[in-house]
Amino acid sequence: MEDIALSFPDIRNTVGNIPVEWYKDFPHIGYNLDGKKIYKPIRNKDELDDFLDKMENPEYWRTVHDKQTGSDIVLSDDQVELVNRLQRGQFGDVNFNEYEPMVEFFSSDVMIHPITNRPADKRSFIPSLTEKEKVSKLVHAIKMGWLKPRRVEDDGRGRYYDLWASEDSSILARHRMHLPAPKIPLPGHHESYNPPPEYLFTDEERALWEQQDPGDRKLPFVPRKYSSLRQVPAFSHFIHERFERCLDLYLCPRQRKMRVNVNPEDLIPQLPKPKDLQPFPTTQSLVYRGHSGLVRSISVSPSGQWLASGSDDGSVRFWEVCSSRCMKMVQVGGAVKSVAWNPNPSVCLLAVALDSVVLILSPSLADKQVILSSERLLSAQQEGEEPAEGNGSVVWSEAEGEELNQGVRLKIQHPKAVHQVVWHAKGDYLASVMPDNTSHLQVYIHQLSRRRSQNPFSRNKGLVQCVSFHPIRPYFFVATQRSIRIYNLVKQEMTKKLQANSKWISSMAVHPGGDHVICGSYDCKLSWFDLDLSTKPYKMLRHHKKAVRGVAYHRLYPLFASASDDGSVIVCHGTVYNDLLQNPLIVPVKVLRGHVMTHDLGVLDVTFHPTQPWVFSSGADATIRLFT
Amino acid sequence: MSQIQARFFTEDKRYVVDDVPFSIPAASEVQELSNVINKLLEAKNASHSKVEFDFLVRGQFLRTSLSAHMETESILTEEVVEIEYVERITAPEPEECMMHDDWISSADADAEWILTGSYDKTARIWSTEGKPVMTVPGHTDVVKDVAWVKREGLTSLLLTASLDQTVLLWEWNSERNKVEARHCCRGHAGSVDTISVDPTGTKVRLERARQKLKRQQRTPLMTLSGHSEAVSSVLWCDSEEVCSASWDHTIRIWDVDTGGMKTTLTGSKVFNCISYSPLCRRLASGSTDRHIRLWDPRTKDGSLVLLSLTSHTGWVTAVKWAPSHEHQLVSGSLDNLIKLWDTRSCKAPLYDLAAHEDKVFCVDWTESGLMLSGGADNKLYTYRYSAQQAEA
Repeated sequence: MEDIALSFPDIRNTVGNIPVEWYKDFPHIGYNLDGKKIYKPIRNKDELDDFLDKMENPEYWRTVHDKQTGSDIVLSDDQVELVNRLQRGQFGDVNFNEYEPMVEFFSSDVMIHPITNRPADKRSFIPSLTEKEKVSKLVHAIKMGWLKPRRVEDDGRGRYYDLWASEDSSILARHRMHLPAPKIPLPGHHESYNPPPEYLFTDEERALWEQQDPGDRKLPFVPRKYSSLRQVPAFSHFIHERFERCLDLYLCPRQRKMRVNVNPEDLIPQLPKPKDLQPFPTTQSLVYRGHSGLVRSISVSPSGQWLASGSDDGSVRFWEVCSSRCMKMVQVGGAVKSVAWNPNPSVCLLAVALDSVVLILSPSLADKQVILSSERLLSAQQEGEEPAEGNGSVVWSEAEGEELNQGVRLKIQHPKAVHQVVWHAKGDYLASVMPDNTSHLQVYIHQLSRRRSQNPFSRNKGLVQCVSFHPIRPYFFVATQRSIRIYNLVKQEMTKKLQANSKWISSMAVHPGGDHVICGSYDCKLSWFDLDLSTKPYKMLRHHKKAVRGVAYHRLYPLFASASDDGSVIVCHGTVYNDLLQNPLIVPVKVLRGHVMTHDLGVLDVTFHPTQPWVFSSGADATIRLFT
Repeated sequence: MSQIQARFFTEDKRYVVDDVPFSIPAASEVQELSNVINKLLEAKNASHSKVEFDFLVRGQFLRTSLSAHMETESILTEEVVEIEYVERITAPEPEECMMHDDWISSADADAEWILTGSYDKTARIWSTEGKPVMTVPGHTDVVKDVAWVKREGLTSLLLTASLDQTVLLWEWNSERNKVEARHCCRGHAGSVDTISVDPTGTKVRLERARQKLKRQQRTPLMTLSGHSEAVSSVLWCDSEEVCSASWDHTIRIWDVDTGGMKTTLTGSKVFNCISYSPLCRRLASGSTDRHIRLWDPRTKDGSLVLLSLTSHTGWVTAVKWAPSHEHQLVSGSLDNLIKLWDTRSCKAPLYDLAAHEDKVFCVDWTESGLMLSGGADNKLYTYRYSAQQAEA
């Protein structure tokens, strides 16, 4: 600056820094010291001059027109050089070095003194105040609801990894069963080095302790008392104790005993309640009195109006069911073992078995038409037919005289005592049983209309207890003492043999559907056989206390009854299902008492009413009772 | 001791008291209420003699104390309770006992004569005082039912039905005391168990132990079949309708003109007997499950039992409505008892008559205040009961 001030005064510029256009119209620019006008150079260069100058002046290229003074200045070489440098973008001064070496301020050389020794601010140690302010502002905004906080994503997918998912379950099961050894109890006052005096053993206790087995002892050591801790000796039993514990831990087998907590009531199948299974007989309604001996057998007429009974006093009585009135009595002269009413509703006949005779009675207890048809059936006989040889032992004869008046129509004389008669469902065939261990002539089948008898069996298979016809199909059931054989009458062969688990079968009944059989035995059991299921009993019922004397099915209702020597009749509900998959449902429903036990005998026979849910039972007390 | 407001009223004109509410101790029983009424009547009429009264609250007889009754019936005690009182029916007293030779199966009583049928194959006519008048033999088997047909002055017609499948019509001249068989109605295929004569006395309905009913007037006019089992009892409801009860657990009502079945009432047990009362238009039936059930024959094909009276311990073999009282009926059963019921007191019978020693088979009423019952002990008992004035 001072250099410029010391340089020659620029007489050319005396007006200052003003735009030259202000003096454009004037012939002068400024004033000199004397106050005289400085005139612009007279000659202005015009275009022609300029052109000529450009052509001829060799210094044209370095002449510069100075507007302030209006003169042309020829630049010197240095000045030209300077201009060139500036145009190139270099620094004006030649001597200037722009690439001076850097003076490092913070260098890696370890200096003695640090650049700055300013101590760290407190704000580098404490939580940031500005951030706190910011945070509190944000919190306030969130609280006021201006700002919604960012929702945290709930990673629902379990981040859990089941380590044992792929492990073998048997190993796991073993682990589950494993029980760890019990924890050692924490040390108590006995283990103290200076226990209170009551914890120390007295002499008796010590003697007892020494006497006992090591396994029985309550404490495995003797409590001792020392006055200070440093006097406590080493525990002699230490290694042994630790060894035992180790054995306990890994060598002693322990296993979880899975005790099944089963409610015994859950095991019993859920049977329906008896009151859901109504109707069934519940109370005694009528007592039919009149016999003087024990009544062995009863039978109801197919219409349900009459009841026939045979007793040991040698009489057959006919009763009116609804009033218990004895309508008729027929003396037959021998203890009656069995009576059976002909199931054909258009015929009114009764078969009576007594001693070795089977009588066919015709009680006139029905419509005249029915009686006429009965007579017709009895008197029909094929002309000229001789009885076959095999029937020599069985003799048919007609009744006459007094017996005819009483109602006896036919007599069939058998070689031995007859125990049971039973009709076929159609009412024409009649089977009679003469139990005899030795012969094969135990069962006879008679045909009423033709007065023929035949013995179907050629071999003796045991003492026959009772027989029955199949209600629908041509099968014949023969019950011996231990089994029931089913014979096909058309094919004349045995189809099945049912093994009852009883010692002595007493009675048998066939379900009206034909697929089930029950048999009662003298060892208090009642077996139900399902013929479609197997030859072994489907169910064995042990409801009675004494021998079962008679069993019966109801024709319409799903009921069956069993009569026993303990004086009771047990009625059970037995529904049989049509589909073969479901087993019959058997529910005991009622115990009917009423008979009086006489001479150790109770109820001897039981039968159902054909249409109503009523049951008749006859007993050794010479009465017949109706339960409804 | 709490008090209940009660107002007394009665249908009986003789015993009317003032119609104002009275304050009665809540624990009063029938005896105390009866005393109250008697005192009120004495205050009104000095010559009033003490009469026993029976009280009904809302149609039910009062049997316990008033407060207990109201509690069981859930009657509010704050309001005034309307109590109706009627003269108490005294117990029927056995009057006569007529011995027969065999079980009595049926009895039918008229104003002066009693007709009984017995298991000794005869029917007998007795006077209401108990004197035997006539024996009607002629059947070859047990007589199961008897009925009067018509009574014109001195001659009367009667019917007997028996197990020999016939029904005999007899004419009886009471003056000359002679009876002759007029006609034998055959046609049943089984034993005839009951018969019933229609109200006009011209037609007769028979019933057979097998299934069909026949209307007869000499020869069968019509056969009504529909029951699947034995028909145990039959009666005429009015001259157009016939009602039958059977062992197939149903009661059927038939229209006589067309012969078709009008209604079926289904029960669950065998019906033994039925009786119809034109006064209250209800059917009472006795069954083998010891109950007496009341039905409304107008219901269409339902099994709506209106009321069930239970007290017997054996089969109910006979029921009969009282001819003059619309709420009373008598029933006989195999447990040897006769029970007199009032339908308004349905929990227990009014009276139990234990005169028989064996099963009771038949009961009947007469208009003049007699009840009859016959049974298996060969006796026919008559009881005198106080005739109730017919209620409107």
